[in-house]
Amino acid sequence: MVRRRGKVFLKYLAINIIVWTIAILWTLPFIGVAMVSVKPFKEVVVNGWWTLTGHYTLKNFIDAWSNPVYGVGRGYTNSFIVAIPSTIIPLFIAALAAYVFSRFSFPLKTWLFITLLVIMSMPQQMSVVPLFFMLDRMGLYDQLSGLILVHSAWGLAWITFFLKNFFDTLPREVEEAARVDGAGDFHIFFRLVLPMSLPAIASVSAIQFTWVWSDFFYALVFIASPEKYVVTLQVANMRGQYFVDWGLLSAGAIFTMLVPLLVYALLQKYYVRGMVGWTIKG
Amino acid sequence: MVDVHLRGIVKKFGHTIALRGIDLDVEDGEFVVLLGPSGCGKTTTLRIIAGLEKPTKGKVIFGNRDVTYLPPRERNISMVFQSYAVWPHMKVYDNIAFPLKIKKVPKEEIDRKVKWAAELLQISDLLDRYPHQLSGGQRQRVAVARAIVVEPQVLLMDEPLSNLDALLRVKMRSELKKLQRRIKVTTIYVTHDQVEAMTMGDRIAVMKDGKIMQIGTPTEIYHKPANMFVAGFIGSPQMNFIDVTVSEEADGLSLVSEDFKIKLPPDIAELVKQYTGKTLVMGIRPEHIYPEGFAPSNVKRTVKISGVVDFVEALGSDTIIHLNTGSRIIVVKASGTYHTNIGEKLNVELGLDKIHIFRKDTEEAIL
Repeated sequence: MVRRRGKVFLKYLAINIIVWTIAILWTLPFIGVAMVSVKPFKEVVVNGWWTLTGHYTLKNFIDAWSNPVYGVGRGYTNSFIVAIPSTIIPLFIAALAAYVFSRFSFPLKTWLFITLLVIMSMPQQMSVVPLFFMLDRMGLYDQLSGLILVHSAWGLAWITFFLKNFFDTLPREVEEAARVDGAGDFHIFFRLVLPMSLPAIASVSAIQFTWVWSDFFYALVFIASPEKYVVTLQVANMRGQYFVDWGLLSAGAIFTMLVPLLVYALLQKYYVRGMVGWTIKG
Repeated sequence: MVDVHLRGIVKKFGHTIALRGIDLDVEDGEFVVLLGPSGCGKTTTLRIIAGLEKPTKGKVIFGNRDVTYLPPRERNISMVFQSYAVWPHMKVYDNIAFPLKIKKVPKEEIDRKVKWAAELLQISDLLDRYPHQLSGGQRQRVAVARAIVVEPQVLLMDEPLSNLDALLRVKMRSELKKLQRRIKVTTIYVTHDQVEAMTMGDRIAVMKDGKIMQIGTPTEIYHKPANMFVAGFIGSPQMNFIDVTVSEEADGLSLVSEDFKIKLPPDIAELVKQYTGKTLVMGIRPEHIYPEGFAPSNVKRTVKISGVVDFVEALGSDTIIHLNTGSRIIVVKASGTYHTNIGEKLNVELGLDKIHIFRKDTEEAIL
C-alpha cells in the first residue's frame, strides 16, 4: 500500500516538474520583454534583464506610444481599422456559406468544399504576387481597404470550414421545429442558428482578429505609406539601422500583444463554455 | 380541426425504401398512434405529414385540401419532437411565443395565448426561465405549450416522452391525453412503446418495414391481431407461438403439436379445414395460460401441458414463468401471489377460447 502511494506521488512529481519546466521556458521570453520594457536601457545592458534591483520606468511605453515617426498610437488606430472589418466581414459571409454547406444540397457542393480546403492549405506567400497586381489595378494598393479585402478573403475559407463543422453538430430538430412553426431560412439562420452558435462565433472572432492584428507579411507588402502602417509595422520600424533601443522595442511589442490578449480574455468565457447549456438534448 | 388522409405514400431515400404505400385515415379530433419498432417508417410518415419530407409517391390530404407539396408553414400544424427542440437562448415565454410572433399576431394576443398555454401545461411560473434551468419534464411541457399555442389543425408528436424517466412518462402520458381531449385537436403520435400506444391512442396503426400491418382500436389490436407481427409486438410478455399441424380424425379436426392435441369445435374447424395436413402457427398470450387449478371460472375449455420451470420473474403484480416443455419454452403469466421454483415440474392449462391461429407462410391471422 505504502509502495503504491509512493509510486503515485513520484508520478505526480514527475508530471509537475515537466509541466512547470515547459511553462517557465515558454513564458521566459515574455518575462524578459516585460522586464526590458520597464528598465532603463543602460541597466539592462550592464546588469542583464533578470536583475530585479535597480530603477523601473514607464518612459519606454510613453516613447513607444507617442514616437513622432513610428508611434504605436497611430499604429493602433490603423490596426483597429483593418482588424475589426476583417473579422466581421468574413465572419458574416462565411457563416452564411457554412450554413448552406451544412444544410443544403446543390450541384458541385463537394467540389466547392474541397476547393475551400485547398485554399486553406495554401501558404500566403503563394498568393502575394497576384494579389499585389490585383490590388494595384483596383487602386487599392497602399490602402487600408485593400488590406481589409485581402484579410477578409483569406479568412473566408477557414471560417467557412470551421463554422460548417460546428453547424453540423447543431441538432436539426431545433431548426425543423422553427420551420414547422412557420419560420423561413433566413429567420431560422439569424434568430436561431447564429445565437446558438455564439461559442463558435466567439472563437472564430478571437482567432481571426488576432490573426489580422498580428499580421506582418501582408501589411508589409501592401502598405507603403508610414502614416498607414499598422501596429506590427510600426514596432518593426522602431529598430534603428545602427542602434536598437530594446526598451522601446519591448514596450512596443507589449502594446502590440496587449490587444489580442484582451480579446481572448473577453471572449474566453464563450469558448470555454462551449456547448454546455446552449444545446439542449435529453 | 381537420381530418387527415394519406393515400399510397411511398418514400425512397436513394435505394432504400422507407415507406411502401401507406394509406391512413385520421378523423377530425382523433388521437392516432403510429406504433412500430425502430426503422419501421413511423417517423418518416409523421415527417411527411408535417411537410418536412416530400413523399416519392402518394398524397397527403387535410380535409379536402391536398397539402402534399405545401411547406410546413402552410399546413397549420404543430409538432413536438423527441428532443423537445426548445431554443436554448430564448426564455420559456419567448419559446412559446415564437410561432405567434412569426405569424405576426398582435402583442396583446400573443401575451394572452402564451399565458393560456402555460396555464394549461402548468408552467406559468417558469415563463421567465431559460430552458437549461428546467428539468426534462418541464422542457417537455414547454415544447407542448409551444405546439398548442397556435391552436393547430393537426398536432404531431414524435416520441415526445421517450427522454423522460419512467415515472414522469406515466404522468405525462395521461396529461397529454387529457389535454388532447380538452382541446380536441387531431393528433398523430409516434412511439415504439406499446403501453404508451395502448393507453393514449383512440386507434393504433402498427407499422413494420414501411407498411401498416394493422389499424384498429387498442382492444382490436390486442384481441384480434391481423398477423403474427402485430400479435407478437403487442403484449408483454410476447405471445407464445407454437407450430401445429391440422389433422383430420374420425371425430373431426384437431391441432396437433409435440406437446398437445386440441380437438377443434365445429366453427373453428370450418375455418382451418382447407389447411388439413398443413402446418399452422397457434398463438396464445402468456396471461391466457394458467397453472393447473388456477384457471378463472369463466374459462371452460382448456388443454393441459406439462413442463419444468426454467426461469421465474417475480414482478410483484405478476409472476412470469418460463416453462420448458421439452420441445419449447412457453411463457406463462400467473398471479403475483403464485409461487414456484426453478426446476419444479409444473402443469399448465391453455385457455382455448383465447387462442389465435396464423398461416405459417404469410403469417396472416386465420382466427
